Amino acid sequence: MTGWHIDAGLLADYDRGSLDPSRVMAVDAHLLACASCRARVAVDPGWLAGNWAGVFDAVHAPRQGALRRLLGRVGLPEHRIQLLAATPALRWSWLSATAAVLALAVAAAYLGQPGARASDLVFLVFAPVLPVLAVATAYGPPADPMHEITGTLPAAGPRLVLWRATMVVAVAVAMGLAAAVLLPGPGRYAVAWLLPALLLSIGSLALSTLVPLATAAGLLGGAWLIVVGGAALAHRESSLAVIFGGTAQLCYLLAAALAVAVLTVRRGRFDPGETR
Amino acid sequence: MSTVSIGGLSKRYGATVALDDLDLELGTGVTGFLGPNGAGKTTLLRALATALAADRGRLRLLGLDPAVSGQRTELRRRIGYLPQSPGLYPQFTAYQLLDYVAVLKELTDGRRRRAEVRRVLDEVELTDRAGTKVRKLSGGMRQRLALAQALLGEPQLLILDEPTVGLDPEQRMLFRSLISRLGERRTVLLSTHQTEDVGALCERVVVMNSGRAVFDGSPRELIAVADGRVWLSTTAPSGSRAYWRNADGLYRTLGDQPEGARPGQPSLEDGYLLLLGASARMGAQR
Repeated sequence: MTGWHIDAGLLADYDRGSLDPSRVMAVDAHLLACASCRARVAVDPGWLAGNWAGVFDAVHAPRQGALRRLLGRVGLPEHRIQLLAATPALRWSWLSATAAVLALAVAAAYLGQPGARASDLVFLVFAPVLPVLAVATAYGPPADPMHEITGTLPAAGPRLVLWRATMVVAVAVAMGLAAAVLLPGPGRYAVAWLLPALLLSIGSLALSTLVPLATAAGLLGGAWLIVVGGAALAHRESSLAVIFGGTAQLCYLLAAALAVAVLTVRRGRFDPGETR
Repeated sequence: MSTVSIGGLSKRYGATVALDDLDLELGTGVTGFLGPNGAGKTTLLRALATALAADRGRLRLLGLDPAVSGQRTELRRRIGYLPQSPGLYPQFTAYQLLDYVAVLKELTDGRRRRAEVRRVLDEVELTDRAGTKVRKLSGGMRQRLALAQALLGEPQLLILDEPTVGLDPEQRMLFRSLISRLGERRTVLLSTHQTEDVGALCERVVVMNSGRAVFDGSPRELIAVADGRVWLSTTAPSGSRAYWRNADGLYRTLGDQPEGARPGQPSLEDGYLLLLGASARMGAQR
């Protein structure tokens, strides 16, 4: 507390905002310590409320993490990023698990016997299933604890399901491609899993219009693991050549197109309020 | 004026009838749904909140038909729903969670959305917890946060499924005050097991049993169901009738007068219990 107080002229300049920054700081410092001068400062409640709201939002708004920055760079609007960032399958725990599975598959390819295709097959067995698992945990119970609330909101339903599914498949496929680059030997099998992955992901969504999403993903992912895993365990090169061959790839593409058509026709089933 | 119109609404889960040809007309103010577990309260509120579709019947909410896709989306812009077990993302802060729900409520303009988030945080008195993660909030605070998400966008129809369950008396008082304020200008529908909540909040009460409305009237009318059927005695009544000993050490019996008993003051709970007993007997005869 000092005996000095801000004179009327200085206070008027301070109120008008016409002081230079160093004098503003000096007045601010005095006001903090002097209640009588503080009481003489004109208060604009609107200005104060606006500033408080700005500070409050800046402190509490969602942080700009790596994922949000990436989505922003891709050109997605802020509100869309908000929706995608809440996707369970885009959390670090899930991404870490996916990365670990892919790393194991790549390691198996390096550690396997030279020339034995079965070593690469660990990758081919698991890579198409990872996007399916991501889709299974992108929406709906039990993966999404807020499903009961989000299911009754205007922007939920098919739109949210498809946005999230697209996002998680894109992320899982990008991670799979990054792992495929690290595979030893010729790169034919490194991309051979992409169409099966697409088919299994879209197929799971299409099938989930009949059964719960987790069941649909389990059925299709399980079928894939049995067929390809069985061939890999039996070291049957010929069957694998068929499974990943040109004709099979064309069939995967056609089946994926069919699944897209089914999904389009039955998309209303993602809305819990739709009559069954 | 009726804001909620229900005609012949039915819903089954396998062999279980959840809603049985239900008819109701509801308007502005707070309406409470009372009933035992499995009475159909939650199924009804979920159907009204567009969380499920009924098997049969007609619904008109705020003049809109939720069975029609476009009208259902429009309706969802105007309703707020607090489910019985609101799952909330534990890793989100209170602010982030409301911001996320606000986006799904189509508040895409950032400034408007953030102002709305601040408004509802203030309404449920959680402004000072805006930065706290959901998993660190107490049960009562989580329930208030769940209510806050229902208030986003100032809905005209508010559907609250057991909003006061698990709350301590202080939190329940806060909820009551908030809900009664909201009911001044909106239609608020709430289900509860707590007859005290109905007495304190609701202008109208609907008692449900086995998917049907067995009573529809004011709380005063529900109390009147027990007029002349509540008895107090100093000794335990004989026979197999239900009774309990109250804080004054007197035995309270509902129904026919036990020997030597004097009339007691009926409560909402007495009316409710007698009604359910009568309704259960009617159900057994059907």
